[in-house]
Parts: sequence; structure tokens; C-alpha cells
Amino acid sequence: MTEPMLWGVGTSAYGRFPDRRVEALAWEAVAEAVRDAGVSPGEIDAIVVGSVFGPPGVATRVQRGLGIPGVPMWTVENACASGTSAYHEAAEAVRLGRFGCVLVLGVEQMSTLFSGAIVPEATDPEGASSLPLPGLYALQAQRYVAEFGVTPEQLAAVAVKNKRNGLDNPRAQLRSAAPTVAEVLASRMIARPLTFLQCCPTSDGAGAAIVGGDRGNRRDLRIEASAMVSGALWDHRSADVWGFASVARAAEAAFAQAGRTPAEIDLLEVHDAFTIGEIITLEAVGIAPRGEGADLAPSGHTARDGAQPVNPSGGLLSRGHPLGATGMAQLAEIAWQLRGEAGSRQVARRRVGLVETMGGGAAGMDGNACVVTILAPQT
Amino acid sequence: MSGLGVDRPIKRRAGSAVGGLPVADSRPVLAGDAVLGSRCTACRYPSAQRELPWCPVCYAPAAEERFAVTGAVWSSTVVEIPVGTRKPPFGLAYVDLDDGPRVLVHLAEPAVLGPGARLRITGTDDGDLVAAMEVRA
Repeated sequence: MTEPMLWGVGTSAYGRFPDRRVEALAWEAVAEAVRDAGVSPGEIDAIVVGSVFGPPGVATRVQRGLGIPGVPMWTVENACASGTSAYHEAAEAVRLGRFGCVLVLGVEQMSTLFSGAIVPEATDPEGASSLPLPGLYALQAQRYVAEFGVTPEQLAAVAVKNKRNGLDNPRAQLRSAAPTVAEVLASRMIARPLTFLQCCPTSDGAGAAIVGGDRGNRRDLRIEASAMVSGALWDHRSADVWGFASVARAAEAAFAQAGRTPAEIDLLEVHDAFTIGEIITLEAVGIAPRGEGADLAPSGHTARDGAQPVNPSGGLLSRGHPLGATGMAQLAEIAWQLRGEAGSRQVARRRVGLVETMGGGAAGMDGNACVVTILAPQT
Repeated sequence: MSGLGVDRPIKRRAGSAVGGLPVADSRPVLAGDAVLGSRCTACRYPSAQRELPWCPVCYAPAAEERFAVTGAVWSSTVVEIPVGTRKPPFGLAYVDLDDGPRVLVHLAEPAVLGPGARLRITGTDDGDLVAAMEVRA
């Protein structure tokens, strides 16, 4: 067994770039990751790509510009967890000795996919019934309101924190003034109780990473754990809201692999597609007991200068959500933070970081997939 | 009508209602006084899915089943944006059918209903189950 290491990361800017080619977004991220890792493209012996909407063949079209011909290459689609699912495959392949240096890419262009009102997936029973993603998360939120007394102000505090963090992220899609709790709650209602400023924007962008073994480079980050789980039935027997159990399964596996507890995590990048998503995720990961996650943002626990900063990048709420690229953007932020290279976003304690990406939306399942990875600098 | 599919082909199965090609309907079916679905012949697990290869819980054969049209709200919301051809506001709820599966329904009257509120599926609207507050004699 080889302990996998994260050699380098790179991303494009995030935003709406309908005039840019998908490959160009990918090349921007790959070029930075290759430079960051200090490798020659010729050293890469496999490519794993995560993308939801492709287009089909997107990996080969990206490969065309890289000069890495003939290597094993595959594309992974696991909804919003596509990027980190690709990363997980790369880390596992290195761990098992299959490859020595793998390029991971997550890429998505959404600005050219949707116009006007969003249209959920028509082949899905709930998509066919016009349940939009914010509606799915709103159903989680209303359950939390009823079961645990979560308040609109607690939900809004997540958006305030993450959008404030995003002001310091030059690659984030949204970098306007950070809103107040009152402004978040006064923004347009999307699906009760979630208002417009509690929803991430859809985006274009790419993120890349180079994963390999121990090459004696002190700058490389140790991949202490990487766990990927698919969904399980979510039905009338489920006590938890949709999504909770899949995140909990992935987190439990990752902590077991790393031999760590949630209390040991110094900083996290988690899937805050909607404010309630961050709250539920942090409970499922074990940062707060079930039903108490809503206090984490208002109390300052998850602030950038708090005990366990969450989404110092600004999260999906600021950066945007280019589905297949999101996990790789989270991974890049944690890498920069753990190396002490995050500039004005730098958190104080950086001994161990965690990334959680959850993809979902398929009716009757507690998620499509969830990936949790734990990284640490070499001591 | 959204701009989807206008002036250029789309690569997403958006459904015929919004300019895409029609797709097979996977939504639960209302048949008179019952919602059609499947039930395991061994462990009795109920599912709103039909054409299952086996029970997804115990792998025994699943058979067609008719479920009650009454049940309890698990959670609900009101959507305030247009979605496809749906105009806001519209109410959605997860309902645990009595002795049956959890299904998504549209609410006859858009409102946030607390968990446990009793609903009755009264009909369909463009293929979607529609439910209203249960009135007990």
C-alpha cells in the first residue's frame, strides 16, 4: 500500500462564462495544478475527470491540449460529488499501487445549459413533479424548523458568514458586499424558508489536482483518508432528513480510516449549496450533535477566526456551484489553507482539514453519492 | 414556457412540457381510491416504484400493490419560483401514506404544513398527485 499524497491543486475563476470553451476552463485549472505540483505533464500516468453535463467526451477534448496521450482515463458522474468522486478514485488508485501520478479534473459549464425557469430531471419522479433543488433542501429545512426549532436567523447566519468569507476569494462568483441577517431574510423567497441569498448560484468553472505517492516533497499533503459512498433508500422508515445518512456514512468511514475524531478537524470545506445544507452536513460529520448544528454559525464556532472554521473560501454560496468542479474547488481551498497559502482567508490552526461533497437529487435515495476526505501537512 | 429548446437543441431530458422530447413517466399513479406501487411478498416493504427487479430491502419478489390515499405529512414547503411549466406559488409535501411509501405530492392549497398533518390525495394535476387536508367525518 502507498499512502497517497496531494501534490498540487489548481482552479479556474468561477462565474458565468458562456463565451468560454469548456476545455479552456479545464486547461486553466490543469495548468495551475501541474505548476503547483512541480511535475511535467509527461509524468502523469492516468486522468480521472468528474463532470455532470460534460459534454460527452469532455475528458478527451481536454486531453487534446495536454499532450498526455494514451494513458488510462475515465469520467465519473456522481451529481455534485463528481469532482471529489474522481479525486477519490485517483487517491485509491495510488494507494493500491495502480498509478504513480494521477491528474484529477472537475469541470462544468452551466451557463449554456439553462435558460429561464429551472427544469428538473424529467425522468425522475420528483423532478417530473417539479421539485426543484431548492425545494428539496427547503423540505429538509422545514423539517428542522418543526423538529428542532431552527429559526430563519440561524439559517441566514450561514449565508452571512460564507458570503463574508467570499469577499476575500478573488475567484468566487459572488463578491459583492456581505449581507446582514436582515438582508438575507429580506431577499426574494425561493422555497420557504429559503430565500435567494441562501441559495448558491449555478456556475462555470474547473478545478484540478495532482495525486501521487510519497516523493519526499515536504510541501505535499498527506491524504489521511478518502471515503466515497453511494446512496441508500430514503423512505418512510427514515428518521433523518434526506442527505443526512449518506454524509454520516462517508464521514464515519473517513474518520475510521484517518484514526481521527471530528474534534480534531481544524477547518472544513462542506457542501453549502443551501444554508440548511451546511447545518445538516456539520451534524452528519459530527461537528455538532443532531439538531444542534444551527447554532454553529451564530455562535461564531464556524467563523474564519472560530474554533472550527467552515467554508473559509466562501463556500458554494459565494464561489458558485459548477457541479463537477465544486469538490475540486473545495479541495484546492483546503490545500492552500493547510500549506498556509490562503492569504487574507488564512485560518490560524491548520494541522488537519476536511472536505465533504454531497451529490443528490435522485428520488427516494438519501443521496447520489458523498465523498469525505481528510488531509494534513507532513509533520 | 421557458427558453429551453428554443433556437437550438438541448442535451437534457427536460420533458415535452418544456420543449424536450417526452419521457416515460416515473411518478406514482393514482388509480381511483389507491396509489399504485409495489410491496415485498416477504418483508412487506412498500415502494412507490413499479417494475422493481426485487425488493430493495430483502431481495424477495415484489408484487404490485394498491396503497391508501391518506397519510401524514413528513415535511412540506411552498415554492415561490416558476419550475418548468409550474407557476408559483405551489405547495409540495412528502407524505407517508398509511401503511405505504413516502411520496411527493402537490398541495391543493399552498401552505407549509407541520409534520404529522393529515392529508388525502384527492386527484392529479398534469400527472402530479394532489393532496388536501383530510376531513374526517
